[in-house]
Amino acid sequence: MVVLRAGLCPGLTEDMIQLLRANGIRTVVDFVSSDLEDVAQKCSLSYKALVAVRRVLLAQFSAFPANGADLYEELKSSTAILPTGSPSLDQLLDSGLYTGEVTELMGAPGSGKTQVCLGIAASVSLGLKQHVLFLDSTGGFTASRLYEMLRAQTEDEEEQARQVLGRLRLCFVLQLEALQRIQVVRVFNIYELLRALQELRDRLSQQVVSSVGPLKMVLLDSVSAVIYPLLGGRQSEGLALMMQLSRELKTLAREFSLAVVVTNQVTRDSSTGPLKPALGRAWSFVPSTRVLLESKEATWEKATTQRAASLVKSPRQPTGIQVELDLG
Amino acid sequence: MQREVGTLPLAPALRARLAAAGFQTAQELLDTGPCGLSKEIGISREEALEALQVVRQECHGDAARTAGGSGATRKCTALELLEEEQTQGFIITFCSALDNILGGGVQLTKITEICGAPGVGKTQLCMQLAVDVQIPECFGGVAGEAVFIDTEGSFMVDRVVDIAAACVQHCHLIAEAQQEEDLRKALETFSLENILSHIYYFRCRDYTELLAQVYLLPEFLSEHSMVRLVVIDGIAFPFRHDFEDLSLRTRLLNGLAQQLIIIANDHKSAVVLTNQMTTRIGQSQSTLVPALGESWGHAATVRLILHWDNSQRLATLYKSPSQKESTIAYHITSHGFRDVQPPAVTHSTEGTELNPRKRPRTEEGKQ
Repeated sequence: MVVLRAGLCPGLTEDMIQLLRANGIRTVVDFVSSDLEDVAQKCSLSYKALVAVRRVLLAQFSAFPANGADLYEELKSSTAILPTGSPSLDQLLDSGLYTGEVTELMGAPGSGKTQVCLGIAASVSLGLKQHVLFLDSTGGFTASRLYEMLRAQTEDEEEQARQVLGRLRLCFVLQLEALQRIQVVRVFNIYELLRALQELRDRLSQQVVSSVGPLKMVLLDSVSAVIYPLLGGRQSEGLALMMQLSRELKTLAREFSLAVVVTNQVTRDSSTGPLKPALGRAWSFVPSTRVLLESKEATWEKATTQRAASLVKSPRQPTGIQVELDLG
Repeated sequence: MQREVGTLPLAPALRARLAAAGFQTAQELLDTGPCGLSKEIGISREEALEALQVVRQECHGDAARTAGGSGATRKCTALELLEEEQTQGFIITFCSALDNILGGGVQLTKITEICGAPGVGKTQLCMQLAVDVQIPECFGGVAGEAVFIDTEGSFMVDRVVDIAAACVQHCHLIAEAQQEEDLRKALETFSLENILSHIYYFRCRDYTELLAQVYLLPEFLSEHSMVRLVVIDGIAFPFRHDFEDLSLRTRLLNGLAQQLIIIANDHKSAVVLTNQMTTRIGQSQSTLVPALGESWGHAATVRLILHWDNSQRLATLYKSPSQKESTIAYHITSHGFRDVQPPAVTHSTEGTELNPRKRPRTEEGKQ
């Protein structure tokens, strides 16, 4: 639905646009779908000029089909699989988080979604030395917990060489560097979130290396906290904004080969119904993989760090697989 | 600068008209100008000017930020956040076991929710925190002021006087024991009148008043920049009755949660909410769960559930981003919230056996 404007392509002058508009042709779609001979007669414009303009507009605005083999080659070279830092979760996700896709973690409050996100950020930043963008919309990001996890991970790796004093300092430097590679943006409403994603897109497309570096992962904790205040009642703009957001996330993931992880809440139909993911059917088509986190105990009276993760939706694995996670 | 029109914070009717007219990016809007815009979509010039103002703010805000300007985005690396967190204080509760499981006390910039059955001590804890936030920094406090929003009418000033007096007494004892000059100087300003004058009390009778109060809070907090604690005692009460449309309730509660986390973050203060408990009837048994539904559970960053075990009061840390789940026991004495004394010390256990659900009214010996 792009409006015809002068300078959109060579050959499209202001006078032409005025004449076309007088005959009811305002947008590119109107132009391309109309009968050019008819238009040439009514607007007294040259047929050749109109055909040339149409060719340029089609080249600019239409999507071209791609060959399956080419697509496969492109995906093979650009997709990476990022390990999450927890071997059982990697097993559930078919060896890790795939770039170019949106993965969703859902669970009840206290089920460990933020902890798993922190673990993923720590593992990607420390293990793979890639930059991570953490969009926090709940205020649950605690840097001291992240630091604890990084310490636990570096200590695992440097177990053998503990005697050499220099190694301890190296651990510390590695942890500091890992912390510097994780950028945290606090977004508390949908417009701030969209603005942050737009900034990310601008930075990535201009390839400013200084602040972002080789960014491979975007974590959004949580998407329901920004969308929930817009849904419900009798207004439908909430759904429109939710779809805008999903489009942004998916195109970012695909165009820049990022792995996008979002966390979501669960809700019930009535007070006794089963748990289902929040944000409804419209959102359920957005992530390609969905993992449900649950606590092993049914009530909050028995405290435990064990969680069960089950695969609810996946393009690669059979659903219903369950693994156990220890949040540590 | 290629912001989609759908992502800009404009009114939905205006957005619909822009989409129908074929505008896709913010750049196109800015290029058209107010006259062209008002002609094309049929709105008045003033409305077009206003809309373009909003668009310009969003887009130039973006540009300023990418060029390194400060702006209002809350962006930083994890390392900077770690340094900030390590220098941030906690609001202690005077019950060392509770402080331990919370990781030092109630954290600033986070929402803490306290759920519990009636009579277990939620309002007591809130009043204790409203006093404790004012402890001077040399004693390990945050030296801030408190805002107390009361929806249930359970705030008792005489009780706050008792708690404050005990707190001042405690600090005097420390100052005498340590004999340092700055401690004594700080105590000059830490008196009963001072403590009471720095607790700002608001009474809200229904949910509209509560929502209005929370919307007006940022202005109040920018005038009173020393506030470090916002307590809303009884967030469940106004929302639990007279709501035919439950989806409206969820929407309002989530909007409220969003407002509160923005307040907590921007003003570096702790937000404490108290919630009631409700029964969930399962297939075989019924359990006691926090009220206001599943989606409310995600609003709070830290969730503390207070409950009974025969006659002992227990506190369970149910949800926390940095601490493990655990349960401890606590006591409510005439001085306020305290640890459970070991049974060898006799004078503190006498009063509690009379009526375990209320704080002992008999005068206890000096501790």
